[in-house]
Order: sequence, then structure tokens, then C-alpha cells
Amino acid sequence: MKNAAQLKPGEIAVIIDVDNDHPSSHRILEIGFTPGQEIQFISGALFNDPMAFSIRGSIVAIRKNEASCILIKPKH
Amino acid sequence: MYSDQTETLTKKRIPLITLVGQPNSGKTTIFNFLSGKNFKTVNYPGSTVEYYVSRILSKHAVDANILDSPGIISLVPSSPDERLSVKALHSHPEYGAPDLVIVTVDSSQLSRHLLLVRQLQDSGFNVVVALTMIDILHRKGFDISETKLSQLLGCKVVRINGKTGEGIDNLLGAVKEGITSEQAGRRLIETRTPNSKRKEKLLESYREIESIENEVLFTLKSAKDDSRSSLASINEQLIVLGNNVRNRPDENTLRLDKILLHKFWGLAVFALIMSVTFTLIFWLAAPLMDLVNDGFSIASEFAFQALGDTWYGNLVSNGIISGVGSVMVFLPQILILFLILGLLEDSGYLARGAMLVDKPLSAIGLNGKSFVPMLSGFACAIPAIMATRTISNKRERFLTIFIVPLMSCSARLPVYALLTAFLFPPEDTLMGGIAMTAIYLFSIASSLVIASIANRLSKSISNLNDPSSFILELPAYRKPKLSVVGANSFNNAMQYVRKAGPVILYLSVILWVLTYFPNHTPQIDGAGRSEEEIVELTNSERIATSYASYMGKFLEPVLEPIGMDWRVGVSLVATLAAREVFVSSLALMFKVTEAGDDIQNSLLDAMRNAKIEGTGMKLFTTATSIGLIVFFVFALQCISTIAIVRKETGSWTIPALQLIAFTGLAYFLTYITVNGLRFIGVN
Repeated sequence: MKNAAQLKPGEIAVIIDVDNDHPSSHRILEIGFTPGQEIQFISGALFNDPMAFSIRGSIVAIRKNEASCILIKPKH
Repeated sequence: MYSDQTETLTKKRIPLITLVGQPNSGKTTIFNFLSGKNFKTVNYPGSTVEYYVSRILSKHAVDANILDSPGIISLVPSSPDERLSVKALHSHPEYGAPDLVIVTVDSSQLSRHLLLVRQLQDSGFNVVVALTMIDILHRKGFDISETKLSQLLGCKVVRINGKTGEGIDNLLGAVKEGITSEQAGRRLIETRTPNSKRKEKLLESYREIESIENEVLFTLKSAKDDSRSSLASINEQLIVLGNNVRNRPDENTLRLDKILLHKFWGLAVFALIMSVTFTLIFWLAAPLMDLVNDGFSIASEFAFQALGDTWYGNLVSNGIISGVGSVMVFLPQILILFLILGLLEDSGYLARGAMLVDKPLSAIGLNGKSFVPMLSGFACAIPAIMATRTISNKRERFLTIFIVPLMSCSARLPVYALLTAFLFPPEDTLMGGIAMTAIYLFSIASSLVIASIANRLSKSISNLNDPSSFILELPAYRKPKLSVVGANSFNNAMQYVRKAGPVILYLSVILWVLTYFPNHTPQIDGAGRSEEEIVELTNSERIATSYASYMGKFLEPVLEPIGMDWRVGVSLVATLAAREVFVSSLALMFKVTEAGDDIQNSLLDAMRNAKIEGTGMKLFTTATSIGLIVFFVFALQCISTIAIVRKETGSWTIPALQLIAFTGLAYFLTYITVNGLRFIGVN
């Protein structure tokens, strides 16, 4: 399954789930990355890490490794 | 006795209102509106987390205390900072449980911010919602119905304009009602959701919030066409628009981020902003620092004249006034640093800076969030170490604290200025500037190397299961509010004075005692000498026979290998109070009087002529001056830093490690530098 770390700049996707086993999963859910939400990969720092996503009208930066626990499907 | 008792019985407890909100939700602005500028900071006992507390301005006619707290994302904490905030929210050790909580909610990020409101309500808090950032919501093309939101949440909702203060009256009305309601006195029960249920509970809250969001937001266009009451039809439109538009971040921000977060341009802008920051810290502050310095010199002189050349005259002028002056002289620089940091933070840029450097910093065991503390370290290690509290990972936080003292703090600046002036003639400003830049780059490079070594070592010693994380909201760009930033910078700078001031003051007095006694009135043969020369000789004779000189001479065997003598030793002991004291203490040791014009030039002359006692060898050479610079780059000489590290890490382990490792390294590298340079013939 695809995860958010594999998105290309500008790409939009819908969250299916957040992997519970990742240590940051709870904070990621809390900050708004919940199933059903649409995210867009805005821009990445060097080596695309951390990555900035738009989520629920905000921009949130998370590490690539943390983005990999957000499971996604392409929009439509 | 009797009257005391009645007083306690009749004295009504002043209601407590706590301000809660996510970072960047406009909390501080509301606090400033309610409190005016009469706030004081209070510490959470046993820690250094600060709270602002104030009585609500009397013109608002609400008698209550208002407590500001650091921003939190949820009631489930994930950093030491948040843990304390959440704990203090439930029951503040000094002020008790709040009668009312005002939650600031950024209306342009409604769903994310409503989560905290829901959690607070679930925990039984008496809540009033203050909607902020309506202008950004409007920019997105939406408006919000606070009456509808109030119905759905079951609490009062007030919209606030952070720029004009519009809505504060309504907020006060809601507050007045809230603190007299029966909910106000209720006991709070700290609810804990078991880990296995946490995700489920969170998703349920978010689902509920999303349906609320759908009902309260409507497009601006329709708001103009229809009246606000016809929400049903508006909501129909909203469904057509779908979530996509509403959940777009601020367009201006997205456009700016195309450049500021660009892989190459982003870094270029970052480098530019950092260079401008440093230039301002040094060049803008310099004239102000001179002013403070001159002010204290005059005061010291005046005290000396008034009290005469007595022990107490000396104590007041040289011990106390100069001691206080040595702290105050850095105030302009610290103030400017806080001001720039405040502007960068308020504009929304600082979070981006942290994001851009997270990768390189995490490679050596630090975190993007180490960036702000490290930057602050260039002014002073004390506020910098306090700023590490936002790092949730303990190892990364301690590692940041570990290397912060290696950042070239402003107290080292006068020392470097003196030594580079010794190495290059003052006319050669270009070489002086290059040398200074080289020293700074050298100190940054060495601190990074040391961080990576310390990271490897700490990994091999402890195997803490404390996963590293970097989750940071990048706030929408906006024009910083100068009045708020200014007030906060001033407040932070005052905190620095209160923290560092007393320590430096006591040490200055101790140092003065060590350099003044026991031979405080040496007999000088005054025949054929001018009054000035007599004062000069008295001073140097006094210090040459003082307790400090015993210490210097005791240290001499250690100093000799690195090309120094006991006089430099005394000055190095003196730097324990504050590094910049090195310069004034050298002046004292080398018989430089302030009589005449330029103390720096006369000190430089004295240094050129100084010889190591008992030999004909020059004391200050190119080799020993560079050696001294190397020593100052590494050595941990600041007692205030040791004290604050002890306080922030909760044990002596890290300060002891720093003291031994950095000072040992400083000695070792100075030894290599001095002797290496001598070996290749540089003298």
C-alpha cells in the first residue's frame, strides 16, 4: 500500500489509515491526519525530509519516516 | 488574632481564568488585551516553565486573575513542556483549578483546534471559546456562525479581532457570566483514556468535530446574498463545494512557501536571514552596549568619588556597580536577539527554519527544534538552555543542552575583540573582521563535531527507547505585531537579568574581595611620582599580593605549558563570574589605569610589553593569543550556565560532564595550538 512519504510535490491523496505501530502515530492522528482526510504534499526540505503537508487547512511538517506511517490512496 | 481569622473567613477567593490554546492561536494577543502590560511571570514549582499571571484590567470590571500558559496541542502531553502545562491546567499549585478556561481557536483551522475544546469539555472544564484569525478565514472565502457553534458545542463562543480588540467586550461578558455560573466551582476529574481506546476515542471526537464544522462554516459570498439565518441553504452550497476548498491552507502562505520552502531558494533565503540576524545582533547592539558601559563607568566613578578610596568605596564602585554593569552590558544584544526571534516567530518563519535544518541536525543526534536554542546561544546560553524545553525527545534535548555552551555567546565577544586587535593592527578592519568570522565559524564547526561525538558516545552508553520525532505546524504567514513582540522581548530580557543577575553580582563581589584583600593599602614610595602613577602602582601592588594572586600562582604549573603566567591565570579565574570580566581583569593585572583616553589601546600596549616573569620571554605572542582564543572557544567558564543546566536536566551529571570535557578539551587544544605554532616558528 502507498504511504504519504511516497507522494510527489503537489500530489493530493486521501488518508486510509495511520499505522498504530509507529511511535509517533498518536501525535500524527491528534494533529489531524485522520482517515478520510485529504492531504497534499506541499514541499520538502533537503532530501524531502521533513515533508510539509496540507491537512485540514493547516500546513504541518513531519519527518519522512513519520509520513511513512500514513497510509494513503490516490484521490479518485 | 481574632481579626486575622475573620479576614480569612470573609476573604473571597479571586476567581482564576486560564487561557489555553494551540501554539500560534492568538493566545498571547488576548492575554495582552485583558491584562494590559501589568503581567508578572510565575514559575511552576520545581521547574522553570513560566506562566504569565495578571489581574484583569480594572477598566474591564471583572475581578479575576488570568493565567496564560504555553501552547498545547492536546491534553495528552508529548514533551516535558506540555506535561507540565497539562498538569498545571488541572490544578495550578499556587492558584488552584481554574474557574473558567478561555480556549483560543484559530477559525481558519477549525477542526484541528476544536479537538482541544472537546477534550477540555470532556474533562469537565468550564469553557469559553475565543475565535481568532477570522481575517485568514475570510481570505479563504469563508465565514463562521458563532451562535451555531455555541449551540453545537454547548458553551459560549466569541469572535475576537486580534488587531483591533473588537470582541473583547463580548468575551468579558461571557467571562463574567462564566465565573459566576455553578459550573465554575466544580471539581475536576482528570480522565485517562486507556492506550488501546485512545485512537478510537480520537477518531470519534474528530468525526463529531467535522460534522460541527460542516454546520458552522459558510461561504462569504452567500453570506452577502442571504441573511445569516438561512444556514440550511448555505450548507447546501457548502456540500457542493466540498471539503477541498475549505481545507486548503491560506493561499498567500502556499505561494510564499513555494519560495521559502524551495529546495535551493529556501536554503538561500534561510542563509540570508541568518546572516542579517547576526549582523543586527552585533552591529545594531554595539553602540547601545557602549552606552550602557559608559553609563556604568560614570556611576562607578561617581561612587568612588563620593565614598573615597576606602574599602567600601571600592566595594561599591568596583565590586557592585561594575558587577551589575557586566550583566547589563549584554542586555541590548539579548533584547535585539529576542526581538528578531520574536519577529521571525510571529511572522511564521521560525518553524520553517527548524524544518529546513532538521535533517542535517538529526544526523548528529539533534532535532530541527534544537535550532532556536542554538541560535539563542549566540547571545547567551541561559535563555538558550531554557528554550530547549520544546524538544520532546529527552536524549535530543539533553544533547542540545550539552552543546549550547559551545555556541559563541556574546560574553566571549569582548575577549575575541581584544585578542584580534592584538593580532592585527586596529587600522586593519578587514583582517579583524575576517578573523572574527573565522572564530565564529570555527566555534560552530567544533560544536557540531562535538555533538556528533557525544551522540555516538551516549548511544553506546544508554539504549533509551525514546523515539525521535519532528512534528511541527507551519503557521500561516502574517505581519508580526510589533507591540506584542516588543513586550515579550522586554519581558524575556528582564527574566534573563533576574536569573543571571544575582549570580554574577555575588561572584563579582567575591572576586573583588579576592583581588582587594589582604593587602588592601599597600605602602608605595610616592617620592617623585604623580598622583596618577601612585594610584596605578597601589592597584597593581594590591593585586599582586592579593588572595587572587595566590590562586594564580597556585595555578602557574598548569598555565606554564600553555604559555600563560599567573596574571593570565587570575583573569581566567575571574571569568567564572562572566567571560567578559577577562578583559577588565587583564587591565587590572597589567597596571592599566583608566586615566587617559582609550583603555583598550593602553591595554594593548601593556600586553605587547608584558614578559613572562623571571624570563625575558614575551607573554603575549601570536601563538599564545591564538591559544587563548582556542581556550575561550571551548572552555566552560560560566557558573550561571552550570547552574541553569543543573536545574533544567535535574542532575549534576551533564554540567559536570560539560565542565570536565569542555575545559579539558580547551586546555588540551590550547596546548597543541601554542606549542604547535611555536614549533613551526610562529611566535
